[in-house]
Amino acid sequence: MRIKIAVVAGLGVLAWLLPYTLDSYAIHVVNVIIIFALLAVGLGLAMGVAGQVNLAQVAFFGVGAYATAILTTRAGLGFWFAAVLAIVITVVIGLLVGTPALRVQSHYLGIVTLGLALAFTNWVTNSQIAGGAEGISAIPAPELPGIDLSSEYLFYYLELIVFALALAFGLFVVRTGLGRRMRAMRDDSLAAGALGAEVPLLRMTAFLLASVYGGVAGVLYAGLIRFVAPESFGIANMFLLLGMVIIGGRQSLIGCVTGAVALYLVRELLSDHPTYAQIGYGAVVVLVVVFAPTGLAGIPPRLRGLRRSTGEAARLQPFQPYEAGASGSDEVILIVDAVKKQFRGLKALDDVSLSVATGEIRGIVGPNGSGKTTLFNVISGLYKPTAGRVEFGGRDMTNVTPYRLSRAGLSRTFQNLRLFGDLTVRENVLVALDRSRTLDSWQYVLAPWLVRARDRRLRAEADAVLERFGLAEFAGQAPKALPYGIQRRVEIARAVAARPRLLLLDEPAAGLNGEEVRQLGEMVRSIRDSGVTVVLIEHNMGLVMALCERVTVLAGGRVIAEGTPAHVAATPAVIEAYLGDVMEIPTEATR
Amino acid sequence: MKLLRGKRAVAAVLAAVLATGGTTGCSAPGAGDKSSDDSGPIKLALADAQSGQLSSLGAWELKGAKLAVSEWNAKGGINGRQITLDVFDTQGDPTIGTNLARKIASEGYLAMIGTAESAVTIAMAPILKQEGIPNITSGQSTGLVAVKSEFLFLNGPTSTTYDETLAKHVVDGQGIKQIAMITNNGSYGKGEHDAFLKALTARGVTPVADQVVTTDQKDFSAALTTIRQKNPKLIFLGAEEVESGLIVKQARDLGITAPFAGAAPQGTPVFLDTAGAKNAEGTIVSSPYLSNDISEASKSFATAYKAAYNEEAELHGAKAYDGTQIVLTALKSSNVASGKDLAEAIRGTKYEGLLGSFAYDETGVGIRATSIGVIRGGKLAAAAG
Repeated sequence: MRIKIAVVAGLGVLAWLLPYTLDSYAIHVVNVIIIFALLAVGLGLAMGVAGQVNLAQVAFFGVGAYATAILTTRAGLGFWFAAVLAIVITVVIGLLVGTPALRVQSHYLGIVTLGLALAFTNWVTNSQIAGGAEGISAIPAPELPGIDLSSEYLFYYLELIVFALALAFGLFVVRTGLGRRMRAMRDDSLAAGALGAEVPLLRMTAFLLASVYGGVAGVLYAGLIRFVAPESFGIANMFLLLGMVIIGGRQSLIGCVTGAVALYLVRELLSDHPTYAQIGYGAVVVLVVVFAPTGLAGIPPRLRGLRRSTGEAARLQPFQPYEAGASGSDEVILIVDAVKKQFRGLKALDDVSLSVATGEIRGIVGPNGSGKTTLFNVISGLYKPTAGRVEFGGRDMTNVTPYRLSRAGLSRTFQNLRLFGDLTVRENVLVALDRSRTLDSWQYVLAPWLVRARDRRLRAEADAVLERFGLAEFAGQAPKALPYGIQRRVEIARAVAARPRLLLLDEPAAGLNGEEVRQLGEMVRSIRDSGVTVVLIEHNMGLVMALCERVTVLAGGRVIAEGTPAHVAATPAVIEAYLGDVMEIPTEATR
Repeated sequence: MKLLRGKRAVAAVLAAVLATGGTTGCSAPGAGDKSSDDSGPIKLALADAQSGQLSSLGAWELKGAKLAVSEWNAKGGINGRQITLDVFDTQGDPTIGTNLARKIASEGYLAMIGTAESAVTIAMAPILKQEGIPNITSGQSTGLVAVKSEFLFLNGPTSTTYDETLAKHVVDGQGIKQIAMITNNGSYGKGEHDAFLKALTARGVTPVADQVVTTDQKDFSAALTTIRQKNPKLIFLGAEEVESGLIVKQARDLGITAPFAGAAPQGTPVFLDTAGAKNAEGTIVSSPYLSNDISEASKSFATAYKAAYNEEAELHGAKAYDGTQIVLTALKSSNVASGKDLAEAIRGTKYEGLLGSFAYDETGVGIRATSIGVIRGGKLAAAAG
């Protein structure tokens, strides 16, 4: 920690003294680089951190610069007042550009945002107020008492301070709750939503952040170059920016900055050799994409990984049971009432009704394709039922979004693991633990110490959860590198960390060996004893028989039996359903 | 291990800080001075897009400027000093333009040729003015004049001149009032649209149709059908070479017989080839450089150009050639002055060029007329009268 501070302080001093060593050309290039680095950080936040393919970053840049230019030259406002308005305007535009993200993702979103970016350059080329193709010149220099900001050397210091603040803020966001939630959404938006991440709001937040950085960069550009023209904000620069972020490593803001500096310097060095510039520039991009897909920022961890491979492996510790808490009551926590779900011609659920009492462990069994997972998806809000209602905790929760359900106390795991692959095990748990609202993100600006304190508290809680589930030694590792059984346990720990009242487990024993299944049973029972109602889908009949108080049997989308395990096993309809599907005959699997 | 690495990093940073701090002392940054060399070659810079979408313009410019420089060098240079012309790639991007302006200043160039894009030139102008480097641009936007830099000169007429001359020819001269317009929404097309519309409005003429297409459009039947319904006597065309060619071709396919009129792009071989000589017949062109065999000077220029590059000379090369000639003439007459003196020398230079007679005023415009040409039999020839 102390070393880190020393390095940052050292870099700060270095940056402060830098202008003394540069001629007027070099300082100008440095000033431009800082602006591009700011843009890259913004793009990194939207694309690398939140996974929103935003190809309109250069348009945000343009809106910021043009708004400053128009407000100062046409409306005669002072530079700083115009700057603030320009950033506000950019944010409004940014949120508008971001709205398609609510409906489309990945490359579709890329195409939409790219189209909007093109629309921007087209508009400024043809608009009277934006000066058309000639652009707007003679933008007044920003003024500060006693400091002549028309000098590029002194403008450097303004940029440096703004940039340092912006980078620090970006890093702060990435490393605390908001950024973690955005990264979770990037890795798996479905799972993030099921854990309470307000996905639509987070996507807009990503565009908000990108546009703030774009707007600030635009204002600085207007103050530095004091001229704006459509060509400065064209598609070529968007791809340059994209190259910066990809080369630097999109998931790391420091990487984005490194990429911006490196690529711009390469471009500037090659400007004396225009014929080779394009080849050199293209070669750098290709080499990085091929040999360092995680970018420059990904190289140090990979080297460290090579060196560490000889180290001792982390071990799974035994689960530490909860102290028995609230015992079961007769209250009903979940009611599924005549739910139908139709996929085109296929009736996945047909009039399914069931109710689960608080403190119960309920098993849901049935042959493959009987609608079990569909039922879970309806309960947890991923699917809208065609008819019928779902009541949870005494309230009608039909058609409520997954994140609202999660916040109301419903948590689930998935049949095919849905862990956040690029987050560590600890961060996976932290995403679930953090119940703060995205709307409270104003704290990041106005009360960052609250955010910091909360994050510190959450980390301690996360470590307690990991300790309980015997995962403490894996805390810093990426889940995708872990054995399957451990990944299953991480997912359960994550679901429990959300402190649910009702926990849905979708085939928790799939792929586990006998010993792991036994541990799982112990774990589920202890979770229930701590006061959580559990509903689980399971094919492993041994586990179901041993664990569940009541079992609901589905076949062909209908409930065909319900009762105690022994009762259900003796029901003729159940035997028939299973005999119809020979592969699914209950076997003695727990051995 | 980690601790050790950290300590080493701190030591490295401290060493670097000491190194920078030690060399500078405590003055304000940026107090350095640049040296200007009185012996050795005379350094001229050419800034233009050498890569990217506009690189063809940049390539033509470079050829024209190079030709002028090599002619002077062959004659022994200026005051016995050879002239070097170094190329800087703007990529058509104003931001890079400002970088290059600083670079050109810090490396002691006496004057700059280029750029061909008005926006890039406007972005560079304040820096070149501050650093005292005269600049002859091939841009023709009126925005260049609005910059009001005494170091900025145009090597051709402004865009309004093209359209003003054209409007004067067709409206005042030939009495055509029923005029349709088709332009694209790119920077060139938009400029043409506004300038020609202004020239028409000043003459009390309202276009019967005003169609705007996009720069990458390939099918213009919708716009052309609208124009056909209005039955114009002349169609003004504001688009680049290839697009203009396509528009003319498709118009003839639709049965439109009215002649087209436009500025420089409509006089180029590319336009003729795309449209087809028969379709382009009768096109009226307003350009300061109608063709390579319009005068003795242009003939010898075209011959030298062909010999040097094995391709046909055209307008942009001719403009850059003229601009470079003017700078070199001014350098000679001023005894290789620099800064303000050189700028004044350029302003004082009277030059008979390929584009006409240059005589600069305080706005930086040296030539104020274009010629009108008509395509007859697949060739652009000066219009009679």
